[in-house]
Amino acid sequence: MYDVGMTVFNGLAWAMATFLVAAGLTLIFGILHILNFAHGGFFMIGAYVSYTVMIALGGALPLWLYLIGAMVAGVVVGLLGWAVDMLVFRRLRDVDDAYSLIATYALLLLCGGVVQLIWGLNYLGVMPPPVLNSVIFLGDMFMPTYTIFIILCGVLVYVGLELFIAKSQTGRLIRVVAADPWMAQLLGLNVKRIYLFTVILSFALAGLAGGLLMPNQSLSPELGGIFLLQAFGVIILGGMGSIRGAFLAAIVLGLIESFGVYFFPQYPGIFFLLALAIILLIKPEGIMGREQTA
Amino acid sequence: MAYKMNRRGIVKGIAASTLAVPFINLRAATAQSGPIPIGVVTPLSGPVQLIGNFVRHGAEIGAAHVNDNGGINGRPIELVFRDSKANPNDASVAARELVGSGTNLQLGTISSAVALAMGPLLESEGGVVITTGAGTEKINHENYNPHVFRVGDSPVSRNAGLVRHIVESRPDLRKWGGIIPDHEYGRTTWKIFEATMRKAVPEMTGEEAEIAEPILVPYGSGDYRNYIAQAMRMDVQGIYTSVYGGDAVTLYQQAKPFGLFDKIDVLLDSANEFLVATAMGDQTPAHWSGFHWYYEANKGNPLSDDLYAKYVEATGDTYPMGWAAEAHAAVLAYAGAIEKAGSTETDDVIAGLKGLRFDSATGERHIRAEDNQAVKNAELAYIEPSSTAPAGFEVTDYVSLDGEKVVEPARPGQMLDTSNL
Repeated sequence: MYDVGMTVFNGLAWAMATFLVAAGLTLIFGILHILNFAHGGFFMIGAYVSYTVMIALGGALPLWLYLIGAMVAGVVVGLLGWAVDMLVFRRLRDVDDAYSLIATYALLLLCGGVVQLIWGLNYLGVMPPPVLNSVIFLGDMFMPTYTIFIILCGVLVYVGLELFIAKSQTGRLIRVVAADPWMAQLLGLNVKRIYLFTVILSFALAGLAGGLLMPNQSLSPELGGIFLLQAFGVIILGGMGSIRGAFLAAIVLGLIESFGVYFFPQYPGIFFLLALAIILLIKPEGIMGREQTA
Repeated sequence: MAYKMNRRGIVKGIAASTLAVPFINLRAATAQSGPIPIGVVTPLSGPVQLIGNFVRHGAEIGAAHVNDNGGINGRPIELVFRDSKANPNDASVAARELVGSGTNLQLGTISSAVALAMGPLLESEGGVVITTGAGTEKINHENYNPHVFRVGDSPVSRNAGLVRHIVESRPDLRKWGGIIPDHEYGRTTWKIFEATMRKAVPEMTGEEAEIAEPILVPYGSGDYRNYIAQAMRMDVQGIYTSVYGGDAVTLYQQAKPFGLFDKIDVLLDSANEFLVATAMGDQTPAHWSGFHWYYEANKGNPLSDDLYAKYVEATGDTYPMGWAAEAHAAVLAYAGAIEKAGSTETDDVIAGLKGLRFDSATGERHIRAEDNQAVKNAELAYIEPSSTAPAGFEVTDYVSLDGEKVVEPARPGQMLDTSNL
């Protein structure tokens, strides 16, 4: 029972950390149909910005200051999203997908270079705020509070995005543009502005994810690629562009990865890829298909 | 048969000659006079640039030392840098281009995959390389090639030294586990750790060591919690790990809240030197780490003191790591070999390197003629978190073990035999 509980707990931790990174990625794909390779790079910049805020404020911070640091990262990266939309994404809307891939990959390399120039090559790291740097025991199970916090953050971000897309006026407009941008323009909607808002929101989510996941993670210019493969796996399996799909896919893949490691420890790190391949063979359109875009 | 020369033919001939120039081996022209070029093929960009920078600084300081002391037979060393990106393809292109332009003597390899690719390449191209941190045991065993030398410690001397020191200082610890990266280097280091531990514990205590199955972890993961949970289930007193660089920092950070380091008596880290401690500061778990070169262990050695002072002066970084000393030693080894051979030709330098004894930042080293492996001291340091040290950690103990006692017997062309460690 202890082992099952710990395995589920660790699977959920993997799932929610990955979902936090994947949320912005799937949002931007759902609306702009751009597979943003640079997402990992902006996640990394968010982590570094948050690190800088934490160090500037003295290192071991109370929870509320840590959250402010993560939000600052979200705002900074959101503003970078605004610049990227103006300079890059607008030029990619009417060109072949291959150009988008090349352009966003170039942006990823640029992010690595910027990080190297500003923060250097050394590995950096900070621990979670003291209140999140403890363990809760449930019988024989030991659950780090920071991991519980990340699971809660993943759920909160998912619920917030679902409510925003489904209930808010802006969310409804985003869905309209995602479904048929041409018709939305004919109806008088400012599609360009909605695109811009979506990009800023997507980038802000990447920055926020970087800020939240930064403790318990080594910071280096390699960080941009570390969650990217997992996040792509999650949005592909979830159904490209579906937030709900990404959330469910993250849980499915997280649990498979976790139980895979538990039962077959001699083959670490392959269960996520194996599960992705098998599930896509059975259901190539992903868990939610395309009908749930954004 | 009469050949007719016309203008078009002459132009074609000139063009062909011009195109061929880069492929003509220029070594003959540079062999006997002027600066001696030494190629430094090391990662100058990409994920491993951090290590490549240590190599670059170490080589530069080594070359400056030789040049300040009159050069090699009056000729200065000139370093020629190329970016290997720690990738065998890029490294091969760079190495071939360097040999083609007259730079047959090279150093700077830190990746095992690159080191293994260099042997056949340089043998066919007529060059030689000294590795400066590549960890594979294969280069002086089954993949031995006379054109590849290692002036640093072999994985055996590093890991066997670590084990023997721990067994001697803590004979009460019999139950061991491991967390190792799931690739060739990780499995090699574990094989050495396990074999040495199974031999050393009974020798020391008369009792058998209990060693659990190692926990394999993937390379470049952002989440190690499942593996940490496995480690928490192990009934062990000590953990050995060869998880490396950023992966090690993430692993240690994530393991700390689980209480993994409170549960064990000793953490043995194969090779991170200060990589983990500089990232984690006062959150660093106390651990023994293997070092290529730890400057405090070599205080009083003029070469070490000079290397440390010049490195700090050049970078402002007060925690230089051992790759700098390996590159420094590689330059000094070339200097010694060229002086001994009286030539910079590849075959002469290979002959000069074989059996060479030379001074380095870790004291005297000698390169075994049989397998091109240097015998040098194995250095270990105990790093602990500190509330008073400015960096948040400090070295509270260190040892420098006699290389002759921890290096494996030379067996070029044959696989590592762990029974005689």
